[in-house]
Amino acid sequence: MECAFDAQNLISISLRKIQSSRTQRGGIKLHKNLLVTYVLRNARQCYMSKNALQTQRTPPYEDAATVRGRQEYLELTGSFTEFADDFYCNFAGVQSDTWHCGAHQSMAQHMELGHQDASACAMVSPSDSDLMVSEACWSCADKSSWELPISNTQVNQKTVLDLDTHVVTTVTNGYFHSDCCAQPKQPQAAAPCYTRKRKMDTSYYIVDPEFYLPDFVPLSCKRMRSEDDDDDLESDSEQLDSANISNLISVLGSGGLSEFVSWQQMDLEQIFGSQTICSKHTLLAGSGWTRAIEAF
Amino acid sequence: PPRPTPVSSTAIVQGLNLLQRARSITMAGKRKLSERPGGGSSDVQWCFSQVKGAMDDDVAEADIISTVEFNHTGELLATGDKGGRVVIFQQEPECKNQPQCRGEYNVYSTFQSHEPEFDYLKSLEIEEKINKIRWLPQKNAAQFLLSTNDKTIKLWKISERDKRPEGYNLKEEDGRYRDPNTVTTLRVPVLRPMDLMVEASPRRVFANAHTYHINSISVNSDHETYLSADDLRINLWHLEITDRSFNIVDIKPANMEELTEVITAAEFHPDQCNTFVYSSSKGTIRLCDMRASALCDQHTKMFEEPEDPNNRSFFSEIISSISDVKFSHSGRYMMTRDYLSVKIWDLNMETRPVETYQVHEYLRSKLCSLYENDCIFDKFECCWNGNDSVVMTGSYNNFFRMFDRDYRQDVTFEASRENSKPRSVLKPRKISTGGKRKKDEISVDSLDFNKKILHTAWHPLDNIIAVATTNNLYIFQDKLN
Repeated sequence: MECAFDAQNLISISLRKIQSSRTQRGGIKLHKNLLVTYVLRNARQCYMSKNALQTQRTPPYEDAATVRGRQEYLELTGSFTEFADDFYCNFAGVQSDTWHCGAHQSMAQHMELGHQDASACAMVSPSDSDLMVSEACWSCADKSSWELPISNTQVNQKTVLDLDTHVVTTVTNGYFHSDCCAQPKQPQAAAPCYTRKRKMDTSYYIVDPEFYLPDFVPLSCKRMRSEDDDDDLESDSEQLDSANISNLISVLGSGGLSEFVSWQQMDLEQIFGSQTICSKHTLLAGSGWTRAIEAF
Repeated sequence: PPRPTPVSSTAIVQGLNLLQRARSITMAGKRKLSERPGGGSSDVQWCFSQVKGAMDDDVAEADIISTVEFNHTGELLATGDKGGRVVIFQQEPECKNQPQCRGEYNVYSTFQSHEPEFDYLKSLEIEEKINKIRWLPQKNAAQFLLSTNDKTIKLWKISERDKRPEGYNLKEEDGRYRDPNTVTTLRVPVLRPMDLMVEASPRRVFANAHTYHINSISVNSDHETYLSADDLRINLWHLEITDRSFNIVDIKPANMEELTEVITAAEFHPDQCNTFVYSSSKGTIRLCDMRASALCDQHTKMFEEPEDPNNRSFFSEIISSISDVKFSHSGRYMMTRDYLSVKIWDLNMETRPVETYQVHEYLRSKLCSLYENDCIFDKFECCWNGNDSVVMTGSYNNFFRMFDRDYRQDVTFEASRENSKPRSVLKPRKISTGGKRKKDEISVDSLDFNKKILHTAWHPLDNIIAVATTNNLYIFQDKLN
């Protein structure tokens, strides 16, 4: 438990560091950010191993609400696993067997508890900005996307700056994850799908500076970010933390990672009770943010 | 007949080291124990000599010292700071009436080496902070040094002017031009002595060769070339040629998402002009031979110590990252600094270091807080003394540590204004790690992590050390009888 709490803490600290490095003078420090990802990976490993341990320890007597709560919790866990799995696969480059053991374990748990469907959709707050709502609806409507947010590993995005025209283009080889969410889940057989290294460019700070862009962020995204900032000022401290993390995750641009981290910030009661789990924290994973990531 | 090899100043320094060592060995029998050379044993007394820099507690960020380096004779001591300035101190000649007294270091030259720049294409500000200074061996009256920030290396010439011409025909003494019609006679200008003026002028600018942040520069023993290293690449330059460099190491993966390590430091071998080493964030050191191939991605030797599984933590990768690598003057050994320790490697043994010294092992249980406050990313440097018998490195609370390799002793000193009475002897400090704190011991919890000594330098021929706190430079020397 201690490890899990520490891991959670470390994950938020690490992500804050990555965010603040974006605004540091002299540009992003590759070395420091690389080291921070190692801490992220280690913390995640620890967290997942603790989680797996916890999910195995099912108490004998529970009321329906608790059971349902745990179901949702585990479903989130399942999706979190995939996000983090792919995320860390990218950073480490090497696929760690231990991670996938953990992943498979929770996937197995997930299968046993059945699909989530409406519950995920219900968690989307209707009060978001248009952009967010559209994104949330998208991920909501395609409910399997919630389970497999970055399910397919064939997305390969590269953002290119044409030095002559100074036009920025995001080139995507393969397809967006939204196209492949319909993939049915299979128990262990699906495991190979997740072990494949995801090609989607979430290397928010190890993006190649040789493809660096000027600070080019579409207006809509900027507005969204400023909306978040405004909300930050109004919300209480507890929400402020979540919002801050979500802002920095927005910079990172990985929709999956945002849910992972935002979930980290909430305790279980909030997860069960709250209808806003993916409200501010669901992000546009489309080209605008990708460009922002590249600029990062 | 074989071509005579030029005598390099490295060779001269080495020769002097050998002489010094030989002398100390013959004299050892006659000398008292307290006069044993080395500097690390508690018998040798280190004394405060000077401190340079502002006395205010309010530190201006531009004044933060970022590099310290003695030249090859030790007469000159250069510092670089975050504001892009270089300050060079010169040792005064020894006083004739007091033969045992060493000269003081006084400011010799100050100049702005680098300015902040803005890369408009990448929307990046380039810091003017001086990351490294390296002196060139002296060839003529002028001194040359290389200074680098994150992106650009500059070769500076520091020269003295103590005469000036007087008696121009077309110019008045104050510089105004005379009307040529008023010139009726001609005279030859003469050189008259003037107050010494030290001029620094940039002779070469080596730019646009590094995409990532430059962390090291190192002058080759051939005195013609030097290397510069950034996070992913190492380039070889000729000192005369600024418009191109050779890339000799490139560890950038084809897919940046596969990046697992970066280059953290690099150095040429002191004698072998074909050999250099580079350290990585994974705790490995690779030795490369430029004769083997043009691109030295394939190392000749790789030095790595297997990790102790008992010490595994969230931060294992961070604390194993090497922050500095330095060859010994002899060229037989090299030293690496990681977050908690200093390791000495024999170039002939790749499997493990021959010596390991714990700098501040008591920090191992505090890694989480050190991660939070970013201290865990501090890059400490290390240095050898002139005869490779003692190594030194910095720590927190303005502490610095010396490890005597011959006598297996270590000592901790503090650089502070409180201990800065002239010629006052430095008292060894102790950190209490257990429950009971003895008198004069400092508990780990009372250490000031904002006061860190990252940069230290040792005079190549004498027991004089320069230790940089945040914005002050301390000079200590051993007590002469």
